[in-house]
Amino acid sequence: MKKLLDNWLVQFLLFLCVLGLTAFITDAIGDVLPPYLLMIGLFIGINLIMALGLNLITGVTGQLSLGHAAFMSIGAYASAIATVNYHVPFLGGVLIGGLVACLFGIVIGFPTLRLTGDYLAIATLGFAEIVRVQFTNMKITNGAIGFLGIQGSTTFPIVMTIAVITIILMVWLENSRNGRAMLAIREDEIASSAVGINTTLYKIQAFAIGAFCAGVGGALFAHTTTFIQPTDFGFMKSVDILSIVVLGGLGSIPGTVIGAIVLTAAPEILRPLANYRMMVYGVLLVIIMIFRPYGLLGGVNLRKAVRRAFMLTKKKQAGREE
Amino acid sequence: MSLLTLDNVTIRFGGLTAVDTVNLEVKQGEILALIGPNGAGKSTVFNLITSIYQPTEGKISLDGKALTGIPTHKIADMGITRTFQTIRLFPELSVLDNVKIGAHCRGKAGLLQAFTRLPSMKREEAEMEENAIKALEFLDLDAKKEDMAKNLSYGEQRRLEIARALVSKPKILLLDEPAAGMNPQEKVVLMEMIRRIRDTGITIFLVEHDMKLVMGISERIAVLDYGKLIAEGTPLEVRSNKAVIEAYLGSGKFKSRIRR
Repeated sequence: MKKLLDNWLVQFLLFLCVLGLTAFITDAIGDVLPPYLLMIGLFIGINLIMALGLNLITGVTGQLSLGHAAFMSIGAYASAIATVNYHVPFLGGVLIGGLVACLFGIVIGFPTLRLTGDYLAIATLGFAEIVRVQFTNMKITNGAIGFLGIQGSTTFPIVMTIAVITIILMVWLENSRNGRAMLAIREDEIASSAVGINTTLYKIQAFAIGAFCAGVGGALFAHTTTFIQPTDFGFMKSVDILSIVVLGGLGSIPGTVIGAIVLTAAPEILRPLANYRMMVYGVLLVIIMIFRPYGLLGGVNLRKAVRRAFMLTKKKQAGREE
Repeated sequence: MSLLTLDNVTIRFGGLTAVDTVNLEVKQGEILALIGPNGAGKSTVFNLITSIYQPTEGKISLDGKALTGIPTHKIADMGITRTFQTIRLFPELSVLDNVKIGAHCRGKAGLLQAFTRLPSMKREEAEMEENAIKALEFLDLDAKKEDMAKNLSYGEQRRLEIARALVSKPKILLLDEPAAGMNPQEKVVLMEMIRRIRDTGITIFLVEHDMKLVMGISERIAVLDYGKLIAEGTPLEVRSNKAVIEAYLGSGKFKSRIRR
């Protein structure tokens, strides 16, 4: 059985099965759920895709980026221009959004990734502002008025399938030679280069993949709201995505999933509180960070925890049988 | 036969000459110790060899290939790995992952392999894991492979650092004060371990303060004082060298220890 699972073809088929199942289930859910809840689910998916990208940059590689919304906006505008002006099909537009954002990630990565910590954060923040101002003044993006007439092609199954693909690829990446190199850079840069890791290369790789995810998320976002304007992608958007990663637990993929669900759903659940909504939301964040300073799943090795729980129940059963 | 050669190596930090025209040869298969009083420039020599610093003057070469100007991350690939004076592990990662990362330069898998998980990548992973476990067994750490590096005891962390440096099968291993903070018992174990590593064909170049350890295992000793190489020879020769005694204990004349 174990040998069979190790076979590449079997794994590939399993991968396709998971995707098919996701699409099927989400499609079925989509038929039942009221549109309002479906919209929340859709945004959870979009935020998750973007947060997984930032998790790779900030959580895994340890490079604090405050400009994730910039890559999102690049993806959103690039895909919108592609689908509206050049009649590229929707999924092609999403891919273009991701690739353009990725390209910018690489271009921006080269000069800024020499910086570390707070300095990098400020540099990425500056980059995000430049991008926003640029979009406000460009003709092709229709400036501050906003880009109109994008088709609402994004559907719940599409978002969820892309989100599941992203999760699987991120898990694979983290357990590979490249992923370990990125983790090593987070832990100790000097020791990393002493064992032969080209720190600049892997930082740029992480940045490029993270930017790609943000671009895809932005493209999906643009084709959900059908209208985008530069103010959609301000500093607060970057902070929102960063909060998901930090609250979920830096570097933890399951944590990011939970963070995306909690932080996207919370403002909607708190809607009955009317004017106090964002205040309670803020208090919620503070409380979570006090009780779980490393994030909801920060520092939890899920595989180990599940194994331990499994062993415990086994032991209990054995005890009862005696 | 000399493996690593330092040829007239000098480095200046502003007005301070930390390493001053040092000529040194590390021979294939030997255990060479570099000693000297605090601030003599021993760790700087290591940082020069691993390209963390570039020499102001002079050349460093390994097996005839120049090391100067090569980025730090390529040094490991060329066959030089090191440990640090203050332990530099990857604290939040498992012991096994720490060692696997040490074998980074021996792997080939890139992004494409990570995302496709083709059989070739799996094979490389399996091989890497096997080598990592062998290195851990060699340093008697295999029982702790699932633990997080930060949860190991001090001596174990030192050993893990050596395991991480060994797993890429280097030609020469640089140990920067491996015995620092160890108790006498641990030091005996460490000496035994260093000898065993050398017996696998790896040349050892170490910086150490602990004289018992240095005199016990090294075949040759080089002494550095104020960046200058003042003596070189067998432990016995160095022990009776006048310049060395002066550097460590003073000449008995007041003035000689005042820096001009």
